[in-house]
Formats: sequence, C-alpha cells, structure tokens
Amino acid sequence: MSATLSTAPLTSPDASPRRRRLSWPAWGWSLIGVLAVWALIVVVRPGAPFDPLAQALTLAPFLVLVALGQMLVITLGPGNIDVSVGTIISMASYVSVAVGAAAGPTAGVLAAVGAGIAAAVCSVIAILLLRVPPIIATLATSLIVSSATLLLADASRHSADAGLRAFVNAKILGVPLIALLVLAVTIVVALMLRHTRFGLSIIAVGQSARAAERAGIKVWAITALAYLLCGAFAGLAGGLLAAFISPSTVLGTSYMLDSIAVVVIGGTLISGGRAVAAGAWTGALFFVLLSGLLNLVGWSIGAQNILKGVLVVAVVVVSAAATGTGRSSLARLRDTLQIRNKNKETTHG
Amino acid sequence: MTTTIQASARPGLAGRARVSAVHGFPALLSLVALVVIFGISVVNQPGILSVSGLTLMLMSAVPLVFAAQAQMLIMSVGDIDLGIGALIGLVTVIAATLLAESPLLGWGLLVAIVGVYALLGLIVQKRGVPSIIITLGMSFVWIGLGLQILPTPGGATPDWLTAIGRWRPDSVPAPLVFIVVATLIGWYLARQSRIGSRMRALGSSAPTLQKAGWSLAGTRVTAYVLAAVLIVVSGLLLASQTRSGDINSASNFTLMTIAAVILGGGTFSGGRALPIGATLGAVTLGLITVLLSLMSLSSSLQSAAQGIIVLAVLAGRIITERFTR
Repeated sequence: MSATLSTAPLTSPDASPRRRRLSWPAWGWSLIGVLAVWALIVVVRPGAPFDPLAQALTLAPFLVLVALGQMLVITLGPGNIDVSVGTIISMASYVSVAVGAAAGPTAGVLAAVGAGIAAAVCSVIAILLLRVPPIIATLATSLIVSSATLLLADASRHSADAGLRAFVNAKILGVPLIALLVLAVTIVVALMLRHTRFGLSIIAVGQSARAAERAGIKVWAITALAYLLCGAFAGLAGGLLAAFISPSTVLGTSYMLDSIAVVVIGGTLISGGRAVAAGAWTGALFFVLLSGLLNLVGWSIGAQNILKGVLVVAVVVVSAAATGTGRSSLARLRDTLQIRNKNKETTHG
Repeated sequence: MTTTIQASARPGLAGRARVSAVHGFPALLSLVALVVIFGISVVNQPGILSVSGLTLMLMSAVPLVFAAQAQMLIMSVGDIDLGIGALIGLVTVIAATLLAESPLLGWGLLVAIVGVYALLGLIVQKRGVPSIIITLGMSFVWIGLGLQILPTPGGATPDWLTAIGRWRPDSVPAPLVFIVVATLIGWYLARQSRIGSRMRALGSSAPTLQKAGWSLAGTRVTAYVLAAVLIVVSGLLLASQTRSGDINSASNFTLMTIAAVILGGGTFSGGRALPIGATLGAVTLGLITVLLSLMSLSSSLQSAAQGIIVLAVLAGRIITERFTR
C-alpha cells in the first residue's frame, strides 16, 4: 500500500510546470565527483597537483573503451548487460601478445579485437537463437572464454612487442597518446549515437523494443551489432592492456563491474534508452582517481571492493528516481527530497 | 482442466497429476538429463551405486540445492540475485573464523546479512531499481568483506558445524536427506504457505496483489529475507563440508543457481516457483561437475564445459517447449 504513496507523486502533474533552470548535463555529477576526488588527492599529497590527473589519464582510456561498449549494450534496454567483458579482456591480452610475436603488433591488436568479436558471437547466438536472457548468455560466454584464457596462458610464453609498448606509453605534450585516440573514439561513438541510423536505432530499441520493431527497425540486427561492438571494444582494450601492463588471467576481472559502474555513474540510464558517451570519460576518471586516492590512503583491496560496491548501489538508487529524462538532475533531486518529505508526513500523520 | 479447478479451490494430487500430464512436467527435461548423467557416471565408475558412493557423488550438490531454492524464491517475485555466489563465500568465511572464535559476533553478522537482504528487497520495490544491478553491486561488498575478514582461504569451522558435515547414516546417503529437506522447505514456502502464493502473485501480476489489499513491499521483503536465510544455510553447509572458509569457494553458484531454476521449469519473468524442479536442476548441474572430474577433463576446460552444458540444456528446454505447445 505504501508503494502507491511513494510512486504517485513522481508522475503527478504538479511537478511539471517549473521554470527552466540551467540545463545540467547527465555527466555533470560525475564531473563533480572527479573534481572532488582530485581535490582530496591534492590535499592528501600536496605539490604537483597535475600529477595524479596525468597518471589517471594513462589508465582511464582502457576503462573508457570497455565502458563505451558496455554503454551500447545497456542502452538496448532492461536486461541487456554484458558480464563477459572482463574475461574477454584477459583472453584478448594473450591473443594480442601471441599473434603479435608471430605477425607484428598491429596484427596482434587486430587479432585481439577479433577474439573479442568471436566471444561476442557466442553471446549473440545464445541470446538471439537460443533466447537465453543476456545476463546468462554472457555469463556462460565468460565461462567458455575463461577456459580459453587458461589454455592460452599455458601455451604462451611471449611478452608484449617493444613497439606496441612504446606506442601505449607515448605522450604528446604530457598527455598520453592513447588518451587522445580514445577521446577520438568517444567522439565518434557520440556522433554515431546522435546522427547515424544505427545509433538512433539502439536508443529507439532501448526506449521500446516493440515500438522500434513496428517502426521497421530490425531489432535482432541492432542487438547483435551492439553486443559485437561491445566485444570488439573489450578485445581492443585487452590487446592494448597486454602492452601497457602484461597478459594475465585476472587482467580484466575488475573491468566487469567497473565498466557497468562507469556507465551508470556517467549518466547513462540503466533501464536503457539514453546513452551518454561523455559520461564514460567522467565516470572512468572518477573511478581511476578514486582507486588512486584509496591506494594513497592505504586502503586494502577488500575495503576498496566494499566502497566500490556501495558506490554502485548508491548511484543506482539515487539515479533511479531520475527516470524523467528531459528534466535537469537538480530539479530531480529537489523532487525526490520533496517526495521524501511528503512520505514522512504521510507516515507520521 | 477447467473442471479440475472448478471442482475444488485447491486441486488435489490427482488433479494436479492430470494437469501436469496434459501440460508436460516442467522439470521433465531436467529429470531426463539427470538420469542420463547418472547413467554415464555409473558406467564410468560402478562404485557409485552404494551408500558411500552416492554420498560422495551428491555431497557437492547439497549447498547448491539450498542456494537454488533461495534463487527460486527471488526469481518467483521476478528478480534475480547475482550476489548469491559471493554471499555464500562470505558465509563460509564467517563460519570458519568468527563463528568459531566469537560466536556472538558471527551470528550477529549472519543476522545482519538477512537484514541487508530485507533492505535490498525494500529498495528494489520502493525505488524500482533493477535487482540485477543492486545484487551485482552488493556482490562486491560481500567479496570485500570476505577479503577483509580472511584474505587467504583457511580458518576452521566450529565443532558442531564439522559434526553436521561428518554425519553419515548407514542406511541412506546423508546428502540425500539434506536435499529432501531443502526441497520440502522450498515446497512449503513457495507452494503451501500463503506468503508463497503472494510472492508468486507479485511476480506475475503486482497490481492484482495490490488490489487484493496486500503490501507489495512487505511481500518482496519477505521473499528476500526467506532467500537470505536459505543462502546462509547453504553457506554453513558448504563450510561444514570444506571445514574452512574461502570467499571464492562458491563463485560459480551464481550462474549455477539461476540455471538450476530455469532448468527446473522456472522463468525469468517471475510468477513461477517450482521447488522440485529447482532441486532436480541443481542436482543435475552438481552431477555434471562431478562427472567432468570423473572423466578426468583438464581443469582449464571444466568451466567451458559447464558453460556449454548450461547453454545446451537451456536451449533444449526452449526446443521442448516449442514442441509441446
């Protein structure tokens, strides 16, 4: 019974006629988070304030790549999520190094992308042909991929190509080259979502798969393409990470939840239908800076895990009330506070 | 079909049997798979056909069956718990450390876990948050807590818990007793009690439940609390078998329990709770793991085999459904 009381004011018309304040971008909150964590780091370790940011810019691009793929999948609508990205990254790192040793670093990275796509094909077959829900399909894929990773790990004794290593670590005017390239990729994805048929179709499917189908969109093709792109991005990230860190069976493990968290923190709706490509950057920078801060303060991995989990839950809970996409986040926050007050009144009265 | 329902408000055993004969036993596929896998195992290792052989073979399925019943309750209200594997790992950690050293704190933590699940149920209901994301986020909290308490696998379970794990009656395999008890508990909660029918109503048609005057939040919270209790029991039983704590000991339970419920005829959309099916599914999956190790498959290939078998069985279920309709 109390559920009606709390959900009714959300849709009630009395909230709609309000003055239009400054329009707040969906990634605004995560930008505030980035600045706050940065400020904290500077407080903890004064001197060279741009060092932590430069450091974060070397690690964040990989997370941004994975998050962009995850964002496309999540935008497809409720239930769509790819939990295989972590294991795909680990597998791709071995593929990149093994093929790179035999046929050059470019071929290695391309092979890593191919391996990511191959894993995604497995998920897509399960989702579209076997009609297995995406979360189970991608979990099963990640089991298969982790076996492949173990087999590759047994066979491979190579290390990353020196040229690729130099490329991943290259800097232009203090900014990592890889960050600039991933920024370009982000812009391409953002433009694609706004202006191309494919991008708009993803958003349409996320808002209502049935309506999209009636409008003549091939929902199965869009779904397949989104998952394939997600696998390709994860494979690319793994292939590059092989040179930046080194191949390992647990290289990608943390990327699974991190990518989902980054997407959610960045302002993309977890229920689908709204993608915020810029949010991948603010979310990723926030996460990388945060773990830098926690390492600086000396938190254990366990405590970091707890904080990450709580953070994801908190962001999802807070943003859940914010499904009115057109309105500013500030207005939404004020609404939720009002609702909370109203609820208090009703429970006390 | 209609005559059976009109005859009495609650169809009797005969009526139910007739209905399931017409519509197909939902867990039939799982039963067939179970028989086939058991047959292959017996051919491979004839020693299984004894009380001690069956005990060894079914032992690993016991915690899984309890966990599957918990997942079934959560799925009956239309949600999915992706933190179940991490939480069972945390329970084994608590059992092997705090429960032995300071029982009060240990039990307090286990009760707190149930409290957190009540809160999760409330959040999912009140805020309309997808349960998948919330439980996925919580799984990292569980792993973090487990790593804080016990960074590396180890510890020792209290004596009473070890005694439960060591209990071996002569006449029946002990795991079979636990499996039957778990199924009876799940059957009572989901199919016999009033709260069970309310939970299924919440999964299939929440507005109807609300119009009938029941609290949606109360029903969902109850489902989560009952599931949390079953998860704690599952973790304690797992710890009683391994006699140590390991946060990663049950990480594959998340996929296995969901697959077990689906295998047993459950759905992702909620409104359905089939305790016998969930048990059959869980035992089938547990036996697959045993069979894979009996066949001396390389350890790096085992997770792939598990993934492929789960996909194959889920695919098989869809094919059989298409034929029966």
